[in-house]
Amino acid sequence: MIRGQFALLQRELWEHRSIYVAPAVIALLVILTTLTAQVSVDGTHLDLGIIGASNFPENARAGALTVAMLGMSITFFFAMGILAAFYSLDSLYAERRDRSILFWRSIPSTDFETVLSKLLTATVVIPLVTFAMIVVTHLVVLLTTSVWLAIRGGNAFHLIWSSAPFLDVWAATLVFLLALPLWLAPFTGWFLLVSAFTKRSPFLTAALPIAILPLLEKMIFDSGVFAEALFVRSVKMPLFIDLSTMERIFDDVDSLASIGNAELSLLGLMDIGGFLGNPGLWLGLVVCGLFTAAAIYVRRYRDDS
Amino acid sequence: MTSLVSARNVSKSYGSVRAVDDVSFEVEKGCITGLIGPNGAGKTTLLKALLGLTDCQGSLSVLGLDPFRQRKELMQNICFIADVAVLPRWIRVYQLLDFVESVHSRFSRKRAEDLLGRTKISAKSKVRQLSKGMVTQLHLSIITAIDAKLLVLDEPTLGLDIIFRKDFYGNLLEDYFKEERTIIITTHQVEEIENLLTNVMFINDGRIVLDTSMDALPELYVELLATNDNADRARHLNPIYERDVFGKKVLTFEGINREQLSGFGELRTPDIADLFVAKVKGATA
Repeated sequence: MIRGQFALLQRELWEHRSIYVAPAVIALLVILTTLTAQVSVDGTHLDLGIIGASNFPENARAGALTVAMLGMSITFFFAMGILAAFYSLDSLYAERRDRSILFWRSIPSTDFETVLSKLLTATVVIPLVTFAMIVVTHLVVLLTTSVWLAIRGGNAFHLIWSSAPFLDVWAATLVFLLALPLWLAPFTGWFLLVSAFTKRSPFLTAALPIAILPLLEKMIFDSGVFAEALFVRSVKMPLFIDLSTMERIFDDVDSLASIGNAELSLLGLMDIGGFLGNPGLWLGLVVCGLFTAAAIYVRRYRDDS
Repeated sequence: MTSLVSARNVSKSYGSVRAVDDVSFEVEKGCITGLIGPNGAGKTTLLKALLGLTDCQGSLSVLGLDPFRQRKELMQNICFIADVAVLPRWIRVYQLLDFVESVHSRFSRKRAEDLLGRTKISAKSKVRQLSKGMVTQLHLSIITAIDAKLLVLDEPTLGLDIIFRKDFYGNLLEDYFKEERTIIITTHQVEEIENLLTNVMFINDGRIVLDTSMDALPELYVELLATNDNADRARHLNPIYERDVFGKKVLTFEGINREQLSGFGELRTPDIADLFVAKVKGATA
């Protein structure tokens, strides 16, 4: 069972190469962008900046590096969402479109195991691959920055490597990347179901109800429960203690200095226990489970090959 | 002999169409059974039911398992080629071998690689880069390397050239004698598999119209090649079908003692294609 599941996951990586190609391309773009910036930026300002940074207190430097590393990661977060959505929409549709489903069903694995492998790919494998690419990007960018600092006479070890809160940033990133798919699981489940039943255009089939149902609800019942649920699900992930802290950091990097002795910890901004205890999370997981069960049912009982 | 497949009153409807209509039959271990039927006769539906790909009414047991409910267990011991184009086009040959090796406990990678070594298929090729014949060779190599108790082939040579088809059936037969396999095969090119078969089943309009061993065929059916005059007299013996060949009449009889026909003309055992036409057309006439 475990070996079979591993083979099924491996198969998803073979078939959907974008799972690692897309984050790799983003990593390359982020690295190239920072390199270009380093080469083309005005030297005098930077030399001053380096001297200024050297005089910052240790925790302020750590805070600045946290923001920098987070800034590099943000594109990955968005890309991961899009990747997981399109992957889920395609996962049970592609095998029917190219008729290879008959081959996959000649293999001794159940429909449950197969659909499970797709759910795991969307919610675990894609985040883990993304995480690995983010870590590589951080390291490469900080390394090139170190070289560039050294050329300008800055002390890279002092400015970057001894200050960067790697553990906090990476742990927080990993928690976020694994928590986000759990929170958005109802969408993944819905996409898998659409992918299992639709005869054409999974994207439109999946998006249409999401767009139309709130309108219908408004017109017929004059209420907005569904729209509200979608809104909360999309933007109000209950993982962070206080979103305004995050916003403040991004709005005003200069204020880092004014944070003074306060430690900026990304993990500290998260309430993992509260997230895991959130009823909305579990409700979402139940909805995802129902959609996934329906997808398994459809794959098992549909007979149009 | 033991039955590998046992079907009792199996039916399958699509809406108001009864694709398989109250069918009962057995397939014994070690047989090569040809399932012959015109388009839309219900062959593929019946095979799908056997393979657990579709649910059906009635009682169906394959290798002692309920195919639809125990498909995973069943697939450990069954191989099938549903159609030549069924392998995923994006996969590479070595990936396919890796995959089958991990999920199929009865797969011998060495055997598959030996078989592929005799072809021009390279391990790094993607399926989409292979010609249609090579894809079939690949699929066949994999299936041959799985030590399965039952092999189900649905139009395995559709669209392939003559040389390849001959090789295909040659290999199949060789394996069959080596491994004591049980095979169910459907094809429109009946004459190509005629010599392979130990049993034959005709299906028409969802019903089985003939189910016999090839050995029993000469006792059950006889063709009379007769002049028109003799044919007139032989017609009283109720032939099931009649056709013209080179100004003579060919009458097909079912369940008749050959001695009753002696003196009317030349007697012979009908080949499968002619018998099929006789059974199907004769039934509607």
